Amino acid sequence: MSGFSQERLMQVLLAPQISEKATYIADKNEQVVFKVASCATKPEVKAAVELLFKVEVKSVQIANVKGKLKRFGKTTGRRKGWKKAFVCLKPGQEINFAAGE
Amino acid sequence: MQTNQETLGALERRIDMSVSMAEIDKEVDSRLKRMARTVKMPGFRPGKVPLKIVAQTYESQARSEAIGAAVEKAFGDTVREQNLRVAGYPRIEPKEAAAEGTLAFSAVFEVYPQVELGDLSQSKVERPVLVVGDAEVDKTIEVLRKQRTRFETAERAAAEGDRVVIDFAGRKDGELFEGGQAQDFPFVIGAGSMLKDFETAVTGLAAGESKTFDMTFPEDYHAANLAGQTVQFEVTVKRVEAAVLPAIDADLARSLGVADGDVAKLRDEVRANLEREVKRRIQAKIKEQVMDALLNANPIEVPKALIDAESRQLAENAKRDLEMRGMKTKDIPVEAAWFTDQAVRRVKLGLIMSELVKAKELYAKPEQVRTLVEEMAQSYEDPSELVRWYYAQPERLAQAEAVVIEDNVVEWVSSQAQTSDNAVSFDELMGNNAA
Repeated sequence: MSGFSQERLMQVLLAPQISEKATYIADKNEQVVFKVASCATKPEVKAAVELLFKVEVKSVQIANVKGKLKRFGKTTGRRKGWKKAFVCLKPGQEINFAAGE
Repeated sequence: MQTNQETLGALERRIDMSVSMAEIDKEVDSRLKRMARTVKMPGFRPGKVPLKIVAQTYESQARSEAIGAAVEKAFGDTVREQNLRVAGYPRIEPKEAAAEGTLAFSAVFEVYPQVELGDLSQSKVERPVLVVGDAEVDKTIEVLRKQRTRFETAERAAAEGDRVVIDFAGRKDGELFEGGQAQDFPFVIGAGSMLKDFETAVTGLAAGESKTFDMTFPEDYHAANLAGQTVQFEVTVKRVEAAVLPAIDADLARSLGVADGDVAKLRDEVRANLEREVKRRIQAKIKEQVMDALLNANPIEVPKALIDAESRQLAENAKRDLEMRGMKTKDIPVEAAWFTDQAVRRVKLGLIMSELVKAKELYAKPEQVRTLVEEMAQSYEDPSELVRWYYAQPERLAQAEAVVIEDNVVEWVSSQAQTSDNAVSFDELMGNNAA
């Protein structure tokens, strides 16, 4: 397997991103969307998904999502930004969230 | 869907039913589809949640609902098919040994008993008879006079029936004891508010006189430190007042609500009231006997479910009654079990009566209801107002109808049973001697 420690990989994936957009993408491109740790890299995400869900990953795309700007009266604040990973699985693979935990 | 009926007890029935799994699956699907159109979830606009995700979260709920509905429908169909009258709710148990692809369950429930109207000709109903005469009117007026007794100061020794105002001090072994002294204490001799010995001692004293005497408290006196003890009382009589009954005259009549002070009118009014009261009591007595007769003539078994419901209802009522009187019901546990006997009687009577009414066509006729309402209205200041009030709402009228039906039943039963007239005295009827 890869050269990452298992301890590190356990910390990479934060949550599956379940939304209208994510389900649309999943249908179209055989991709699964995750929220991942902000410091995670593509190879780390790939290794983590392969380790946790026992599937084969074709590729990973990553986007940094900026937190929303929120106002409370005069003061402005910003929510935390987070990293979104689009994990593309090899054809014929599937992640079953209910069973994979 | 197959069914299979079994008789467990006199009223208990069991129905075994089975529903095919495929039917339930179809039902679950359609339920989920309907849900998907409205369900809300974070990350999705309302109604845009994919069916797959809806199914993931809501399937178990939809399934249990579908099963519940299917079971209920199957049960309802069976009951209708076999013409059963179910009392209360069925107990539904799933069955393990079911064929592949079906869901089997059995429902245990009770049915209403078949009421067969028994023979009433052996039952006896005693009809109390009492004519309100002058004697009864006199008696009642006497009571009214007594309630208006005035006390007037009299210059003589205290006798029975007088009210005396006294100071007294009691000593036990030379020391004053608690509650043993009072000033300007009024009491009526012979009314029983003081101990007998005390009253006897005071009798015969005139205003201004005092007396010292020894007295022994009875063994069962409520204050334990005094029971059976001998104490010394020092009593000073301040005033002796003689009881004066008001004369039967215009003043008395006026104070009793006859505006023009006509004594003859007062007598008439008292007589009318008495007659109404006597009639009511007689009716109640007869009704009680009729109900007993009905119960005895028609031994039926009643479903437990009905009794439970009824006793719970009675307990609720009792609770509310207590609350109305300002008691804290939280501290008083009112249990439905206390009312079981009463509930059995009520349920039985209800069943018998409804059957009787149906069989003999003792329904309330509109003109009967009208008469009853008008009769009830008579004791009010504005009778037409009350009549209108009754007719304004069907529920109130239903109450009146219930009364009429009861009367009809009483009448019918009395005509069937062996009735005998039985003269009773006034006191007996009013329950005075029972007290």
